[in-house]
This record gives sequence, C-alpha cells and structure tokens, in this order.
Amino acid sequence: MTDPRLAVDLGAGLKLQNPVMPASGCFGVEMASLIDLDTLGALVPKTIFYGARAGNPSPRLAETPAGMLNSVGIPSRGIDDFLRRILPAYRRFRPPTIVSIGGLSIHEYWDLAARLNGVPGVAGLELNVSCPNLEAGGLEIGASPENVARVVHGVVQRFEGPVIAKLTPNVTRINDIALAAEEAGASAISAINTFVAMAIDVHARQPLTGTPTAGISGPAIKPMALRMVWETARTVRVPVIGMGGISNAQDALEFILAGASAVAIGTANFTRPTAMPDTIAGLSRFLDDEGVGNVRELIGALRYEAFGPTAAVDAPGAYGPPDPDTTPAPRRGRRPS
Amino acid sequence: MSDFPHGVALGVLPAPAGTLPAPHCAAAPITAQFQVAPEHYLMRLRDARVAGGAPGQFVMLKPTRATDLHPILPRPMAVYRYLPASDEFEIVYRVIGTGTQVMSERTAGEIAELVGPVGQPFRLASSLDGLLVIGRGIGVCSITAAAEVAAARGARVYAVVSARRPDALVGLDLFAALGAQVFPVTDTEGTSAPEHVAELVAPLLRLGRVQQVLVCGSNRLIDLAVRLAAPHGIDVQVSLEAHMACGIGYCHGCSHGAVGESEEAPLVCREGPVFRASCQSSAVSGQRSAAAIADS
Repeated sequence: MTDPRLAVDLGAGLKLQNPVMPASGCFGVEMASLIDLDTLGALVPKTIFYGARAGNPSPRLAETPAGMLNSVGIPSRGIDDFLRRILPAYRRFRPPTIVSIGGLSIHEYWDLAARLNGVPGVAGLELNVSCPNLEAGGLEIGASPENVARVVHGVVQRFEGPVIAKLTPNVTRINDIALAAEEAGASAISAINTFVAMAIDVHARQPLTGTPTAGISGPAIKPMALRMVWETARTVRVPVIGMGGISNAQDALEFILAGASAVAIGTANFTRPTAMPDTIAGLSRFLDDEGVGNVRELIGALRYEAFGPTAAVDAPGAYGPPDPDTTPAPRRGRRPS
Repeated sequence: MSDFPHGVALGVLPAPAGTLPAPHCAAAPITAQFQVAPEHYLMRLRDARVAGGAPGQFVMLKPTRATDLHPILPRPMAVYRYLPASDEFEIVYRVIGTGTQVMSERTAGEIAELVGPVGQPFRLASSLDGLLVIGRGIGVCSITAAAEVAAARGARVYAVVSARRPDALVGLDLFAALGAQVFPVTDTEGTSAPEHVAELVAPLLRLGRVQQVLVCGSNRLIDLAVRLAAPHGIDVQVSLEAHMACGIGYCHGCSHGAVGESEEAPLVCREGPVFRASCQSSAVSGQRSAAAIADS
C-alpha cells in the first residue's frame, strides 16, 4: 500500500493511489521481475494499433547528450492479440491499466475504442495522437486541433470511461490542441510525447536511426516539456498528466507544481528500472520535509509573477476563445490614428 | 554495431530445459577492473543472480555513476566468464564511446547498477566431443563462457579469435587455459578473411571433430560457419548484437525491423541474443516465421 497522501484523481472516475505511472512505450509487465508494479499509480502498455504492424527498420535507438532518440515506429500485433495475450497479463496487477491506442487514420482510433469499450481490465484510454515515427497519421492528426477533436469526439461516443488525449510537442501552440481535445470530451490530457529530432553519423554520412528523424526523450527535453505542461495545465480545466524527461521526485514535483495532476516516467525506466518506485518514495519524503498535507495541495501551486507579454497570456481564457471582458488591451498597441 | 546477417535463416531456439533465473535490478559491487589490451578492459562484478546465469546471457549495465545524466542508456554486456563460487562474473569491453569510456574510469569498490541475467543462452549439445567457437572483436566475449562449460564437460574446444590487430585479440588466455586449440587471425596480418578462416576450420567440420559451432561478432563469419556446417548437419548458434534500451522485451528497440508486411523481427534481447543459424534454403522446420530474416 502506498502513502495515502499521494492519492490523486484524474477525473471520470480514474483515481490513482499515487501520481506516478509509466509513459507508454517505456514499460511492459516484463518489469514485474524488476519492481513491484502494484506500487504504481497506473499501468500503461505500449500503444496498440487495430491491425498488426512491424514497426520501423533498425537501428531504432540512438543516444544524444542526456537524451535518447527512438524510431521504433510502434510495432503492434493488433487488438485481437492485445485482448487475448497482453491485457490478461496486466489484470494480474492492482493499479488501473490505461490502454494506449494509435491509428494511421481517425477511424482506426474509433474502431479500437469500440472494441475496448466494456472490456474488463481497461480502466481508460490514452489516445496517442502524437507519435512522430509513423508513415501516416502522426502529426497530420496530432498537430491539427480539428483532427484531434474528431478523434476524441468519436472515441468518447464509443468508449464509456476516462479518455486521455496524449499531445505532441511538435506544434506552435500546444494549448490550442489541448483545448480542442477538452472541448471534444477528453477527461484528461497527457503532455507530452517526443520531440521530432535527428542525429547523424558523420563518418557514414547517414542518420543514426533507421528513419532519418526520430523522437527525442529523456532529461534533455525536460525543461521544454515542463513549459508545455505548464501552458497546457492553465489552459484546460481537466487534469493533466505531465511527462517528458522525468527521472526522479524532484522532476515530478516540478511538473506537479506546474499543474500536472499526475506524472509519467518513460526513458528513466531504461536508465534505472527503480525510477518509478524511487519517485513515489521521494514524493512522500517531500511531503514530510515540507510539512505538506497531501500531494494534491501541490498541483498547480507554482508561485510566480507575470511579467511582460506573459501578463496577457495569464489572463483567463487568453488561449481559449476570445473573451472581451477579460482579455486585457495590448500594452504596446499602435496608437489609434 | 553489427547489422543482421543476410542470406542466413535465424531460428528462435526452443525454451531451455531448466528454468533460467529471472532478471533483477542489482546494485552490484565492482570487485575488479583492469585494462587487458590497449582498448580493452575487464570488469569483475559481484551479483549472485547473474553469476547463476547461463553462457550466452548478458546484463544491461548502467555505465555511469548513480546521478550522472549522460549517457542515459545501459549497455548490453555479455558475460565473459562466470565465477559462481564467489558470486562473481566478468565482462570484457572495448572503449568505443562515452559510455564505455565512463565505465573504464570506474574502480573496484564502486557500485554498478545493472539488470540481469537477460537473454537466451547457448544450447550446448548433451554429447559434445568437440566445440568450435568463432568470435571477432569484442564478440568473442559472448562465446567464452560457453567454451568454458563445454571444456568442463570434457569437450575439446577449437577457437577462431579474430580482430583487426594482434593487440585486439580477446580471450587468448582464457582459451589457452581451457586447453583449446586457438586460431588467432587478424586483419593486419592478412589472416582474417573468411576464405582463410575456412581453410582453418573446414577440416574440423569435415572430419567430424566438432558437433556444434558458436559464432559472434561478424556477419561474414556467421555466413561462413553456416555454409561450412550445413553439408554436415552441424548445429550453428550465433549471438547477435543490437542497440537496446530495456533489455527485457518491452521497448522494442532491438528488433531488426520487419519480417514481411506486418510482422516484427524477433527481439534480440528476449528471443535472442542467441539464435540458431542455418542456410536460408534449408531453414530448420518448426522455427517461427518471424525468425527468417529476409535478405533484402
């Protein structure tokens, strides 16, 4: 049993015993021989597609300073194999399983949602509308507020339960996407997936990964992920699951203070498989040391002073539909002539 | 990092008879570390679980100290030698980048974080008069432990040890201690070409001196072994290298990619790193289709 002070609520009935879960793609029940999975806030399997896919050519991994590139490309044996072989392995564990689903088309998400509706052991869906390594779909869906809204809208019509939209950072304004997902019915937002990135072998004059570009994760992206989670959390009203380079309790606390109700740990599971349990223990220690009653008090508790152009950003609804009553006048507008 | 061998059918080996120890997370004390060649180091670590592993298995070793952020991925390291009496095992590695450089700077008494033992071991035949092992470069480290076990069971070991230069030959002392017949071959001496290696080992296969061949570290040598062994029905097992992040099967970073339209090639970490290799035309019946790596 984990520390009751760590319990969090992700809405739509999704309650976690603590705010720490794995990031999809960086976890499997194989980890049960390494750590006690029952101590985690939730379990998140690797993204599945409706049909079988092989994934991308090798090499699928490369390293950059404090980071990792992957172009795994989501190999999947499809929904039937998932229901028959993978999901039962997750049912053996106590934390809720959030099933991550992908698609090369908007309809593929809808079809998966219909198949997973009412299936025992599926506590919620995470819509991976943000993988940068797909031959189709990918950013065409994830970078478009309209397409993300269509995916979410169709899923919530077919799946009764929590629906989490996992967003890409490869956009100019993540808030627009987050708001579109919320308005379409998402019960929570996951932010972020990997940044599109690249590394080159200068001797071979080839990319270091089997596809020319790949997604970067790990501590290298943490400050950028944090900024996007902060912007997302103050734009939407639904809970946000923060992720991107989180390796320990210090990192997790930064995301929670920035507004995340829960955090996901990905690449750090490779570096040290005890990263998730260590983070959970670290959160309890922080509550002790700081005299904080429970972790919920820390969600979005960032203290800061708005300044300069961000003052306008801080106004309620600044990233939502324009509200003439609350949107302040521009500071350096041109003088009307 | 080697690419996968082409023109060779790779079969996933059947589950081993005994149960293998489950991998665990360990903070393993480094009990010794020394340089064994200009670019090569030997690290000895203490962990009872890994020391109870089987030849051909490996560990995922975090190269850095606990708090270092770079590089972030653990390194797959073959167990070079098992020392079960003292719960120790040894790895030998070549310094080729930041990770192995950091590893080489660590000293006895420090702690190395690792996950292990992982991977499928070599399956040594129960009645083995002779074993041929062929290793190139650091790939030799994947076959030394199997050679030790075979020798302990009374088999005669024949070892082709290949490298770029004489000072990069790995494991000569170990093979000598096993009473093995060693064939060191190098690029600089012009002895490492497959045609020359074929001259050395073909008689062993033709005369029935060996019943199994284990290969690691060179696709050309894997190809050679398969071609020489096939006419005599001799079993060839190979250990493959790949980039890895998790080492236990969930990240899918180590698969070669696709087999056919929509099937993923086997994971080197979990289905391998040891595979059975055969000529593509005479693929072993019963092997999974995923194991046949298409020659593209």
